[in-house]
Order: sequence, then C-alpha cells, then structure tokens
Amino acid sequence: MDTPQVISTVQRKYILDLLKQGKRMDGRGFLDFREVRIDDDLIPKAEGSASVHLGDSFIITGIKYDVGTPFPDSPDEGVATCMAEFIPFASPMFESGPPDVEAVEVARVVDRGIRHGDCIEYKKLCIKAGELVYILFIDMYVMNHAGNLIDTGAISSMTALLTTKLPTAKIEDGKAVWNGGYMLVPINQIPLSVTFGRIQDYVFVDPVIDEELVLDGRVSFAVNEKGQICSMQKSGEITWTEEELIKYSKIAVEKVNELRNKLNLRQYVPKL
Amino acid sequence: MTENNHEIREIVIPGEILTEDKSFIPGRGAIRQGDRIISIYIGLKEVRGKYINVVPLRGKYRPEIGDKVIGKIVDITSVKWRVDINAKDTGILKPRDAIDVYDKRSQRGRKKSSRELEAEAMKMYELGDMLIANVVSVDRVSDPVLTTVGESLGKIDEGTIIGIDVPKIPRIIGKKGSMIKLLKDLTTCRLFIAKNGLVWVKGATSEYEKLCIEAIRKIEREAHTTGLTDRINYYIQEKKKERGLK
Amino acid sequence: MTILIPEEYPKKLIDKNGKRLDGRALDELRPFSCKIGVLANADGSAYVEHGKNKIYAGVYGPREVHPRHLARPDRGIIRVDYRMTTFSVHERKSPAPNRREREISKIIEDALAPTLFLELYPNSAIEVYVQVIAADGGTRCASTTAASLALADAGLPLKSLVAAVAAGKADGEIILDLGDLEDKAGTADVPAAVRMIDEEFTLLQFDGEMTPEEFEKSIKLIKKGAREIFAKQTAAIKEKFDTVRKETEEENKKIEKLVPPEEKITHASGTKEEEKAGEEKSDKAEEIKEEKEDPSDTKEEEKKPKKEKEEKKSEENK
Repeated sequence: MDTPQVISTVQRKYILDLLKQGKRMDGRGFLDFREVRIDDDLIPKAEGSASVHLGDSFIITGIKYDVGTPFPDSPDEGVATCMAEFIPFASPMFESGPPDVEAVEVARVVDRGIRHGDCIEYKKLCIKAGELVYILFIDMYVMNHAGNLIDTGAISSMTALLTTKLPTAKIEDGKAVWNGGYMLVPINQIPLSVTFGRIQDYVFVDPVIDEELVLDGRVSFAVNEKGQICSMQKSGEITWTEEELIKYSKIAVEKVNELRNKLNLRQYVPKL
Repeated sequence: MTENNHEIREIVIPGEILTEDKSFIPGRGAIRQGDRIISIYIGLKEVRGKYINVVPLRGKYRPEIGDKVIGKIVDITSVKWRVDINAKDTGILKPRDAIDVYDKRSQRGRKKSSRELEAEAMKMYELGDMLIANVVSVDRVSDPVLTTVGESLGKIDEGTIIGIDVPKIPRIIGKKGSMIKLLKDLTTCRLFIAKNGLVWVKGATSEYEKLCIEAIRKIEREAHTTGLTDRINYYIQEKKKERGLK
Repeated sequence: MTILIPEEYPKKLIDKNGKRLDGRALDELRPFSCKIGVLANADGSAYVEHGKNKIYAGVYGPREVHPRHLARPDRGIIRVDYRMTTFSVHERKSPAPNRREREISKIIEDALAPTLFLELYPNSAIEVYVQVIAADGGTRCASTTAASLALADAGLPLKSLVAAVAAGKADGEIILDLGDLEDKAGTADVPAAVRMIDEEFTLLQFDGEMTPEEFEKSIKLIKKGAREIFAKQTAAIKEKFDTVRKETEEENKKIEKLVPPEEKITHASGTKEEEKAGEEKSDKAEEIKEEKEDPSDTKEEEKKPKKEKEEKKSEENK
C-alpha cells in the first residue's frame, strides 16, 4: 500500500554516515539550496501564475480573485488565502482524495508567511471600506514531489503574486464595475522561507525527498526583506533546544536574504 | 539492448508498422495485425533472423523465477514479511525462506520445532530493511515468493540504492558485462544491478558513488545510442580529472 | 463575484473569406505541441499544448487497486482522474471535483481502454491523472491525447496511440478543432478520439444540432485532424530520442579525435582474459555472478518471442 513511506534502514544509515562526514547525497553543502527554475505568467486565465522547480520539486501556482465583503474586524482590508493540492501524479505516495495533512501544512505555512510581515498592503486591496474588497486565492498545485514543498511553495506563491494583474473597479449602484484599468498586487515585502531538516544532531537546509523520508524532524522559517521572521513551523517528533532555535533563526535570515537576492523575483512584475 | 556500433536502430512507437512482409514473425514487443506486424512499445526496432522485436525504453518490472531482486521489508506479521520489489505485487518472504535454519540443532541436540525456528527467523529482518532476494515462484493469482537463502542473498547493510529504468539494465551491464566492469574499474565502486531496476552502489567515498551514479544516469539517458562504452569511459575520466579523484 | 470585463462577443464566428476568429481556415487545427517524460516521479508522463490548453498527464501502474472491491480477477482496470486547476478557467473553479470532471474522467477511461492489453493485469489498475493547467475549449480532447502519450511513455504495451480533436458547427459551416468562443457560441460540438492504428473512434460526444450529412462531414474532418495530431505526437516522441542521439554523435566524434583508436580503453572490448582477471579481483561473489549472468541477456531476448505469447494471444482473442 503506502510502501514508499516505510523508511529504508540502509538509506537512513547511508544519509547519516554522509552527514557525519559533513556531506550530503547530492553533493550539496549543509546550507545549499538546490537550483531554482522559474517560469512566470504561463496561464492566460489566471490573474497571475508561476511554475517553479526547486531541483525536481515542481509547483505551479495560479492567482484568482473575487470581490467580496471584508472581515468585520478589518473592514478596509483585502484578503488573501492559500490552498495547496497534491496532484496524485506528483508522487507514488499520493492518492486521489481530499487534501491530506501535509498539503494543508504547506498551504498554512506559506499562508502565514504571506499574511504577516508586511507582505501585501491589504488596505490597497479595498474597493469600498466595509463593503467590497479583493479576495485573492493563491492556489498551489504540486506537480512533482522531490522534497521541501514548503520552500518551493513559498517561491512559487510569491512569484505568482508578483506577476498578478487585477482589474480595477469603480462603484456603480453599490456594485464594483470595471473602470478600464489594472493594478498590481501591492507587495511591500517578499517573504521567502527556508526549511531545515534534522537527523540526530545534523541540521541542513532544503532536504531532498530521500533525506526528507528519513528526517527526525524539521523547522521552517519565513523571513521578509527587513530581515524579520514572519512565520515558523516545527514538525516531527523531536525537540529543539533554545540555543539551536536561536542559531537557526539567524541562519534562516541570512539564507533567505541570499536566496531572495539570487532569485530577484521583482523582475517578474509585469508592466501595466 | 546490447551495443552494436554498426547498426542504428530505429525508434518506433505503439501501432507503428514494422513490416508488411509476411515472412517475418512478431517477436518481443510486436504483434501481428492483419498482414502487418506492428510495435506495441516506444522502443528500438530490432530484426533477428525471422523475428522482429521492439525493445522498449521504459517499463515496469515483472518478476520471473530466478530473478535476483532488491527489496524492502514493508510489512511484518508473525509468519511472513512483505517485500516491496518494485513490481505490481509485493513479494512474500516466509521465515523458512529467510534463513537456513532447519539443519541447525539446539545445544541439547534436539531439533528445534519448526515453530521455534520460525520465531527465531522472524527476528532476522526489520521493517525498512533492504535485501537481495531470489524470486522462487511467480504466478498470476498469488504474490511472488522470495528467498534469501543462498550465496550473496540477504540483508544490505551499507551503500546506497538507486532506481533505474528496467529495460535499460542490459545496457548498464553491457556486452559480456563490459559496461559494468568499466563502471567498477573506473569508479572503484562495488555494484549490484538487480533485475527489478534497483542498483546497489558502494564506493570508497561518496564522491566515487556520486560519479558512478551520474555515469549510470548518463547510460540510462543515452541507452538507445551507439558508442556508449567509449563515451562513458571518457566521461568518467574527465569528471575524475575535474574533481581531482584518483 | 469578479469584476465583469465586457468581452466583445463577435456577431460572426466566420468572416466572408471563410476565415475564423483566429484567422484559421475551416479545417485547420490550432497550434499543437507535446512532450513526453515531463514529470520526474510518474511512471509515464506527457505535456500537451493544444491552442491555449495546457495539460499534464501522469501514469502509475499497473499497481494494486484501492479500494480492493473494484479489482477484477480476470483483467486490469484503467482509472482516469481528470481535474482542472482552480485558475484554469475565467471564474475560479471550486477545488472539489465536480460532476463534469467525473464524467470526463469516465469517457477518457473508455477512450484509452481499447488501446491497452488490460487482460495482462488481473487485479490491478492503471491509473492516469490528468491536470488541466489552462483551459481553452476542447480540454477533454487534449487530455485524451496527453493521456495516451503518458501511457506510451510509461512503457505499457499499447495497440496504438489515440489522437483526439473536436469538430463542430458555427455560422452554418462545419469546422475543425473548436476554440473557446466557437465552443460556446457555435451550434454544435463533436469531441472525438481516434485510435490511430485502424482509425476507429474511442471517444465520441455530441452537443448541439446537425444533420446526418453534416455529422458525416464532421467525422471525416475529425479523422483528418487526428492524423495531423498523430503526426505531431509521433514526431515529438522520436525527436526526444533523436536529440540525444545527435548529441551523442557529436560527443563520439570529439572522443574519436582525442583518442586514437588503438588507445581506446581496452576493457571496453571485453575480451575473455580481462573478464577473468576482473572476476578474480572482485571481492564479492554476487558481483561475479552478476557479470556471468548478464551476458545471457542476449540469449534471453531470443527466447522472448515465446514469452511474449501471452500478449499476442490476447490480441488474437480480440
């Protein structure tokens, strides 16, 4: 049945032995990300879209919007929500059906990174305070699972958001009517994330699927351009010490800045 | 898919007409359709005497008696193991096929009951253990039965395992084992290529293992081309120079 | 509710010169391209762009059937799961599968089954997952075309590929390969899939109004379109391997220049003496065995015609 999820004892030993020598199975250093490949704006009917490969992990994200009523506690702010779906062809481990816990986790962690840390200027997504605001749907589809979907999802979501063009509206008879123009999603900060995998005392970034299957646990940090942490997620049945968490939060800020500079995602912002 | 430097074999697709000459007989990967012989795979067309074959380029492993396979223990009950052998059905390994226990005698000289021996044997493999096994029986109604009794069979306790396309195994072994020998000699790795498309690799260091795996990936990608042995030789030598490996 | 952007619905789908909205002739296909082996994990996969449709298909199997009661003891089953992404269409689609997706999954199953040797896989399933990333009218056809390629890429024995395309009626004319607007504003839509080995139909639906004469014309047009798509399917598969071949031929030339023939690696020729020496060096019994066993592969291939009998039989039984 779920045969791939039974962890191979020899594979775990192999990965652990390498870590002891300061090495990883694909030759990367402990703090190296895999190569990132980005294709932007590939879906004509989406307001924004991106296809992102992190190594062999592959996620396509599309942005759709709706015009709806704001939350009562933030009447002049728009809303953004993330969803992740694992397409069954992405891994022999996935089966068709409602999203499993892992997909929900990917969506939630990416969502928190975007929701906080001054990523989207929600006030600019308001059409009429208390009545009409933009609701953004950030929908991630996992096309191929080769490890570290959280970081892949974050890059993919942010790129898709940056490519997004929304039709602008005026109010006529209490309804939003197109005024002939378009706007970008107002993005102040680009949060990206870094995930640390851990086996015994060895901690490394961007675990590949073979590593992920034998991890004791992991912790993800989303960091914005100001160098502030805006989301965290610890998972796996292990514990982390205070010193470790402080150490890795600092490394996370460095790694995310490095990644963000390298990817230069603002290059994908379209001209209006 | 053995190497032949003088013949470039045509790539064909399912339904493609291989011949309309009635004197040919459809072999592996081909069927007769009226007066024609057609391919049933994406593969290489190959004429051997009266037979026309198509050697597929991808495909799942189908167990056959006598195959040496690499498997993973994915389930344990009190009387058997279930082994993932990269095939449609999981393999069955029973305690009496796991260890040669029936000749052993207890200290008192009493032959242990088979129940005792089975209980003892069941301790041999744990969930997730990888092993090399022999396929002892296959039929269409029940799961393939395995044994780990025999020379070089049993638990794998070091090295790494990668998956390859099953139809490309002959190419990775090469004519008379020439390719596997080249891989072993140049990368100094130990290799075991199991029939079910899993390859065990163990080198002196991970750099050699990585090089060996990269060379295998290159063979896989270029399996349908000619001059492969020379290219792989050149590739490994160059990479070794580049990476400062002996 | 989204902000309504008024779309100019043209009064006429075909102009006085017989050209369609996108400039196509009545019997002309939209741009079509495809690729196999696009997803790393799936047993087989394909990507199709047909017009502005963008579709991925991935295959697993044969594997165990879940839930178990769907398994058939006499033959395998094919299961297709056709899904659209939420952002593939203008108005965001709910992520939950709907009735339309279920129906299309079913008709694609029926379209592919006549190309498979399902009797080879009792108690097992071949699972095909189709994901429409971008939709532009005719997704069921493009999905069928993609799924057939993915099955072939998985190395499953197939009687034939299928190619699918719709014909239809707009402004009183019979047209090939309906675009989004023609689909919505036209008077009839006939999506179909053709098994290319014998040009028999494996998928057929009809929506609209047509005379039998017009239907006859449509079906002939579908066959013409399917042949054109099939030619592109064939070319895409062959090109994938030919590209690697060309690359390697370049490399071969380079190596030949660098290394005079007599200096070429001796063990590549694999003489008997060397093989023996190699065996003695080997530290593991299994490795020696492996080397001994494997040359037998050549023999095995000669034996193969017998082994493949079951496949042939199944064809004869048909």
